[in-house]
Amino acid sequence: MNLDQLIPLLKNDRDFMSCVSHWRTLPATEGRYEPLPADMDERLRRVLRQRGIHRLYSHQAQCWKLAKESRDYVVVTPTASGKTLCYNLPVVSAILKNEESRALYLFPTKALSADQVSGLYAMIEALGVNIKAYTYDGDTQGAARKAIRQAGHIVVTNPDMLHANILPHHTKWVKLFENLQYIVVDEIHTYRGVFGSHLANVLRRLLRLCAFYGSHPRFILCSATVANPGELAGQLTGRPVTAVTENGAPMGERHFVFYNPPVVNRQLGIRRGVVGEVKRIAENLLKNEVSTIVFTKSRVQVEVITRHLKNCAPAALGSTGRVRGYRGGYLPSERRDIEHGLRDGSVNMVVSTNALELGIDIGALSACVLCGYPGTIASTWQQAGRAGRRKETALTIMVASSAPLDQYIIEHPDYFFSASPEHALVQPNNLYILLSHIKCSAYELPFDEDERFGDVTDTSQFLEYLAENNILRHLDGKYYWMEEELPSAEISLRSARTENFVIVDVTDAAHHRVIGEMDRYTVPMLLHENAIYLHDARMYQVEKLDLDHCKAFIRATDVDYYTDADLNVSLHILDDLEQKQLSNGSTLTLGELRVSTIVKMFKKFKLDTNEPVGFGEVRLPQTDLHTVGMWWTLPDAMAQRYTREQLQGGLLGVSHLLSIVAPLYLMCSPKDICVVYQVKAPITDKPTIFLYDSFPGGIGLSEKAYQMQELLLEHALSIVEGCACEEGCPSCVGPVAEVGSTGKADARALLKELLT
Amino acid sequence: MSLLNKLRMLDAQAARPAPATPVPAKALYHGSSSVPLSTFCDRRHATPEVLASAFGLPQAPRLGPEDVLFLDTETTGLSGGVGTVAFLVGLGYFTPQGFTVEQFLMHDYPQEPELLSRVSAILRRYPALCTFNGRTFDVPLLEARLTMNRLPRQCFPPLHLDVLFPSRRLWKLRLKSCTLGNLEERLLHISREDDLPGAQVPALYFQYLKDGDFAPLERVLEHNRQDIVSLAQLFYFLCYQVNRPEAIAHGEDLLSLARAMEKRGYLPKAMKCYRLCAKGATRAPAYNALAQNAKRQGNVQAAVRLYQAMARRGDDPVEAYEALAKLYEHRLSDPGQALHYTRQALLLLSEPGLFRSEAVQNRQIALQYRYARLRRRLSSAPKR
Repeated sequence: MNLDQLIPLLKNDRDFMSCVSHWRTLPATEGRYEPLPADMDERLRRVLRQRGIHRLYSHQAQCWKLAKESRDYVVVTPTASGKTLCYNLPVVSAILKNEESRALYLFPTKALSADQVSGLYAMIEALGVNIKAYTYDGDTQGAARKAIRQAGHIVVTNPDMLHANILPHHTKWVKLFENLQYIVVDEIHTYRGVFGSHLANVLRRLLRLCAFYGSHPRFILCSATVANPGELAGQLTGRPVTAVTENGAPMGERHFVFYNPPVVNRQLGIRRGVVGEVKRIAENLLKNEVSTIVFTKSRVQVEVITRHLKNCAPAALGSTGRVRGYRGGYLPSERRDIEHGLRDGSVNMVVSTNALELGIDIGALSACVLCGYPGTIASTWQQAGRAGRRKETALTIMVASSAPLDQYIIEHPDYFFSASPEHALVQPNNLYILLSHIKCSAYELPFDEDERFGDVTDTSQFLEYLAENNILRHLDGKYYWMEEELPSAEISLRSARTENFVIVDVTDAAHHRVIGEMDRYTVPMLLHENAIYLHDARMYQVEKLDLDHCKAFIRATDVDYYTDADLNVSLHILDDLEQKQLSNGSTLTLGELRVSTIVKMFKKFKLDTNEPVGFGEVRLPQTDLHTVGMWWTLPDAMAQRYTREQLQGGLLGVSHLLSIVAPLYLMCSPKDICVVYQVKAPITDKPTIFLYDSFPGGIGLSEKAYQMQELLLEHALSIVEGCACEEGCPSCVGPVAEVGSTGKADARALLKELLT
Repeated sequence: MSLLNKLRMLDAQAARPAPATPVPAKALYHGSSSVPLSTFCDRRHATPEVLASAFGLPQAPRLGPEDVLFLDTETTGLSGGVGTVAFLVGLGYFTPQGFTVEQFLMHDYPQEPELLSRVSAILRRYPALCTFNGRTFDVPLLEARLTMNRLPRQCFPPLHLDVLFPSRRLWKLRLKSCTLGNLEERLLHISREDDLPGAQVPALYFQYLKDGDFAPLERVLEHNRQDIVSLAQLFYFLCYQVNRPEAIAHGEDLLSLARAMEKRGYLPKAMKCYRLCAKGATRAPAYNALAQNAKRQGNVQAAVRLYQAMARRGDDPVEAYEALAKLYEHRLSDPGQALHYTRQALLLLSEPGLFRSEAVQNRQIALQYRYARLRRRLSSAPKR
């Protein structure tokens, strides 16, 4: 059955429709075209025509013009709008004109670069010219590396490789640096937060070396929809960048369905579980042979849903191989296999984390099911965009979880459809990140005393600090590197800690098998000893976690529960940066915090019902995060009006509300910030509510919250006042069981006091 | 709070070392010393043929003893990235009077361009460069330093003889470790007194930058000087061994040399080495290689004799029987005899207690196929 047949059926399905809070149909749009540019190399035009491209989409044509004017530009268009031509055309034409020209392509992941370069090869092959395009990443063989350095016209790599491998060895890349004409950065919307702040600094280092070698490269950037593509591109590159935002590609009709699972307990505000609903909806699509992608928010959900769908697949389709899970932690070969299966149609149902959100070519899928609100508007559109390529009808069903943010979105479809997607925030001048990269850059080339790193006016103070610590040597107007080690080796662009853990299956004692990898940050949550670990719908128990050698040993098992680790958080104030007194007597502070997290126990839940069935102990060292936060300190006079229990419940309620509201105003994902409270904060002994960035050094979210604190509190108050529940529910202050019977009233009272 | 103070707070616990004191301006260090010619073995062994076969060169020029420049650097790190500096470059060369070692050491970073210019001026004068692992380490590092200082990097001699690779080929089998230190101890019988471990070199240099006390660097200079002398000794010892295999005392070295020569296509020399080591522990591989070579030359009878000798003495008999089976089946068209040898090989492999690795199992399977095929051929062919 195809979607055009299925959609009327769904609309007539009463059970289904009773849960649909909103059904939006976005009409198909016509494409806008321009003829192939007259100033384009005839060979290139011939190849385009051979491939059935007789005209360009308007945005592609606009990019061509900007490239001709030597402008830096960023192109913002949805998936399947032909964005690769926006950079391949200028780059290839530059090399056709001057054989010495070089280009550097940066993709956020290895998988993406492998995928994109194959398209480039096809074009070059059709041209029949000697243009060499290579991927240069961790998988590139030693012998090939030498050839790439010397002869590669187009070097395709990722920021991590550029940071750790190319820049610290730039003298082996003289040809590239001397002749670099274009730097292409794709998927820049993924460079938010820490990763983006790192990338901005890696690009500062790159440009510093280009200046040394005498080249002046132009930037071409691509992004999925974000609110501020031009600003983001500007922050990443340190240059003014022209944004191309008008999409000229045609689009098919799109159905966007908001689905809210039915309430099962009105008093507690509890709804049917999102995973169960997604299972049913996906099963229906599977049985009707509608090719579908299911996006979940966690790796565990991927496994749970895949397992279910595989179990119900044989009856309908006779093959479980048509349903696959996809997430980080699978080996690259396994992932390539799944991607290939999606393209050729042998896989028609994939359950994925946001790993498939990026532009890996997985062909045309018809439907997309979101297991919970993905956290940001941009991400939601990006995931929905995975369905309905090639001008066909597309269906997206977003199933809300009981998480408050989900509930807010699902109840306010107009907010969703009218709001611009989030601003992608980066903070290139985050102290930690900047310091790390100034170190790397000093390693790569001695700094002159009066030199500036990017636009950092305080560069000299960083250099002086590094000299004080004998990392640099300040002499005769220059700063020289004076350490043995390569600094980039210990700086990871993606998370606080560098090493990845390998996951070893020891079920067969004679043949230990590596089945995956996981970053150190996630390991304590998912791979602590005795955790149940799911991989491609098989269950394993973690037998041993070897922290020293970064290995987790797991053994296949078959139990009817899964595990979930409990994270303990403690806070210490390191420094006050700014402070203001509010008229109600409370104090608002912006400052630096140390947040220590530790996993001490885990809980067991039954697989099908999610009932808690037990718990266990975890022994792991704690991890420290230095970050920026803002906090409200309540005066004693205010605190005295409540009993300790009331204060406890009220503060919990306010924190809960703030954690719902803040992502909407700060335009970030809920996991980017944390809100916690202390009834008696150490040192001051006063009740305190903290909001902090969950990234080392902070990425500017708390600063923004500090400035708009009143708005945050007002919105929190409006939610609690507008909520229909009696004494608290997950959509406002949290469940009654947690905040207590007066929690809702106390939270409301506290908010009112904080707003006077 | 000022940025600098904030930065200082980042690692409040770490004791703050005193900032470095600049070393008072001194001229670039340049030292020179000499070693008598008697330190080295006969340098005439470095013939073009020896150089070509030992270093795998398509053709080697005739190099006089005064044409080779020996080089070794001391660096501020081993990572090989562009932030690593060669603070000391030692160069060795022969004069009619003896072997001279010249050393250039920078007292501080600003002297690097001068150091590099002085070194490249000497490099330019020589047709050949000799190093130990210079192909991967010293030369790329110096090239990087030249690039970073905007100096021309085309100053290296056209011919680069890196002793590490032929050393590994020749001595790895017997000595296992092929570091310069181990080679000089085991082959040249040099024992250094109070030698500085190479890993400590960067720290000593940084310490000098901080406190200006030159005395500890004398040890680095001595270490580097000795490395260069050893390198030159090792180079000519290597040439001597390649040129005069009959003087090689160890069967394993001969076998290694034979294999190296065979791989590089110097067959007569390789066969000579195989014959020289066709005794003792290296007898089996030597016979095997000689037999294979005879087979390749089309001398089937000689090959059969060699394999039979192996089988008789129990030298790698499975290999020998299998080879004989192949010879009798394909070259001598005698399936009966081939079957006999195949059975012998299978019998040996079926001995109880033998550990059956994957390779052994595969071999067994291949032999069984051969066995079955020969049986079929024999039963369908008319009886002789």
